Amino acid sequence: MPMSKPIYIHGAAGISIQPTTEPGYFFDSILRYTQNAIPAHDPDYKVLIPALQLRRMNKSMRMAIFTAQRALQEAGRTTVNAVITGSGLGCLRDSERFVESLLTDEGQSLNPTPFIQSTHNMAAAAIALALKCNGYNMTYVNNANSFESAVLDSMVYLDEHPDDTLLFGGVDELGERTTQFWDLAGYLKKQAPAIPTPLANSTPGEIAAEGATFFVASGKPTPSAMGKISAVATCHETDDSKALVSRFLRENGLEAGAIDAVLMGYNGDSRYDYIYDDLAQALFMGASIVGFKHLLGEYDTVTAAGVAISLRLLGEQRIPAALQLSGTQPKQIARVLIYTQRRGRNHGLILVER
Amino acid sequence: MSAPVRIAVSGMGAISAIGNDVPSNYQSLRSSRHGISHIQQLDTPHRGKLLVGEVPLSNAELLNRLGIHSAEAYTRSTLLALLAVKEATADIDVADGHRTGLISATTVGGMDATERFYDDYLETKSHRHFIATHPCGYGTEQLARHLGVTDYVTTISTACSSAANAIMLGARMISAGRLDRAIVGGTDCLSRFTINGFNALMIYTDGHCSPFDEHRNGLNLGEAAAYLVLERAELAMGRSKPPLAYLSGYGHANDAFHQTASSDNGEGAYLAMKQALEVAGLDANAVSYINAHGTATPNNDLAEGNALLRIYGSAEAVPQFSSTKAFTGHTLAAAGAIEAVFSILALQYQQIFANLNFTEPIAALGIVPQTTLVSAAVGHVLSNSFGFGGNCSSLLFSHAHE
Repeated sequence: MPMSKPIYIHGAAGISIQPTTEPGYFFDSILRYTQNAIPAHDPDYKVLIPALQLRRMNKSMRMAIFTAQRALQEAGRTTVNAVITGSGLGCLRDSERFVESLLTDEGQSLNPTPFIQSTHNMAAAAIALALKCNGYNMTYVNNANSFESAVLDSMVYLDEHPDDTLLFGGVDELGERTTQFWDLAGYLKKQAPAIPTPLANSTPGEIAAEGATFFVASGKPTPSAMGKISAVATCHETDDSKALVSRFLRENGLEAGAIDAVLMGYNGDSRYDYIYDDLAQALFMGASIVGFKHLLGEYDTVTAAGVAISLRLLGEQRIPAALQLSGTQPKQIARVLIYTQRRGRNHGLILVER
Repeated sequence: MSAPVRIAVSGMGAISAIGNDVPSNYQSLRSSRHGISHIQQLDTPHRGKLLVGEVPLSNAELLNRLGIHSAEAYTRSTLLALLAVKEATADIDVADGHRTGLISATTVGGMDATERFYDDYLETKSHRHFIATHPCGYGTEQLARHLGVTDYVTTISTACSSAANAIMLGARMISAGRLDRAIVGGTDCLSRFTINGFNALMIYTDGHCSPFDEHRNGLNLGEAAAYLVLERAELAMGRSKPPLAYLSGYGHANDAFHQTASSDNGEGAYLAMKQALEVAGLDANAVSYINAHGTATPNNDLAEGNALLRIYGSAEAVPQFSSTKAFTGHTLAAAGAIEAVFSILALQYQQIFANLNFTEPIAALGIVPQTTLVSAAVGHVLSNSFGFGGNCSSLLFSHAHE
């Protein structure tokens, strides 16, 4: 992979199961849960979305528009040239609603609204419509690499269009029936599900959650930029994470020791967290290991929240105790590596730098 | 946006209502034989009422053709995709050490299994192995495993422009130097979800769709899968056979007008076509044939026609064009890929395929599609795909000898 130009982040906003929309919030207090699945800690959407429009919007659309607008405000912009979105499962609730209506009333006239709003590109489309943005508009739906695919496209797009500014992000919502399905498929934690999720002596399963995080980015640095994304890579399947991460570091001209903090996707699933343990031992002994899924739960695009956290680490120059899993406070935080996978597949790497 | 790297099309595969592979699709196009008929495969009360473009093979027959055991969880979209991908990569060694990516598009994903087993999953264990197939990305992962692609694998879902966007992304990834080869395309099977969804939107014709006709009154839905192998031109040149065509331009824009309807002046469509021409560095007049989106809904064809008039200035200046949706039905996420295959066939055989069922031009536009098969010098073909959410894409394919 050739080195590509970094993209600079000028605004970021996220909704999650923690109060991440509250001003200045940085994981110094943690909402605790003892359930599975956990809906997002909703902000007052009316602050940014007119009530009439809000009523018609499903959860993905409202979370995406709210965080996109917040990110734009932070970047001091009202519109962008392109919108690039990831969503592993799209607008689940409307999909469920439409399936349920056709199972009872197929052949009769059904309400088309849940069908229209079930399409995976509806969040990106709603942002384009709200911003009157005629530019490039893309939606990636590749399970736990949906957001990473959006990041990669953003980097390629800003290489092609060096004067443009874009919104990129990830959004996923919970569905009631779908959560039951995931439970039956054995994905979810049954035994004492909790947030924060205990990572020591963990049990099988994930905590299902939802959220949205959006960013404003351009190819140009500004004094107020929060940081930059210098590289991203995805790998669908590998049983050698060490080789994957080593190659990524090498391609970016870095030694493992040059990483000040490593964000890893520990989610308390005893079947897969060993992948992070092995990597930490192989490459990052003694480094500051930072977690985020144990506080935010698991969903396909939760890595977007990991990027937002990484940018805050650069800004605050400290790792909140609730996020730090091992190692000490670094002397400085200039470079953060994010490594995630889900159920052993869809490995993603994102390098965030000052 | 510029494409300094030439993108060759080294392979293609397709399955639709008019054929189980590319040669049989071509035979149908050549003999103007459509594939629209009553529903045979899908279990729905719409059977006997609705005309669709269905692939005339059951899931069991598809599994059998692929040599996959029926106990394994594959949904219909993935089965169709596997057949098309196998054909597309028949002459390509995916594991030759070059960086190969897979970019697949779908809107249905595994919804056909989810809708079938929605209550069954809760009650019995017998079909629970299908639960995992629901996400759009799952089928792509199955394709990746069959192909042996392990690194860059992704899935796009932008409604009816999905496959065109997968093809465009493949070209951009190669241009950016991140891949040498990309297997790109899309798949969507018919499902009760989509059949009932479009029914709720009252978007169906009561007979056979008639794109660009004054009296058009809606679309036929279809199912298909089609994939292309895109390569850096130097890589394709190393092979004994010349490339099938070049992908010389691509464009994508959002109409930003309405959730489902297109703006009357076709802003998104206009911008997408304009960009595709810019990327290719071609004048609009260099295009010999336009494979239009042409769904035969009153709204799409008017918007697309207006966008064509904006690009070309007058009805007389619009090159020969046709929509092949009357052959295959509207195949949603696969449309951009199946029509890319048809565009390449037009380049290979120097023929323009018929816009079936046409009688009277749209009065407000005055543009007349090509209504019969015709031989023509075809150098560059523009292929349009537009979707819900305002996602509009245009691809420009060029003759391998250009």
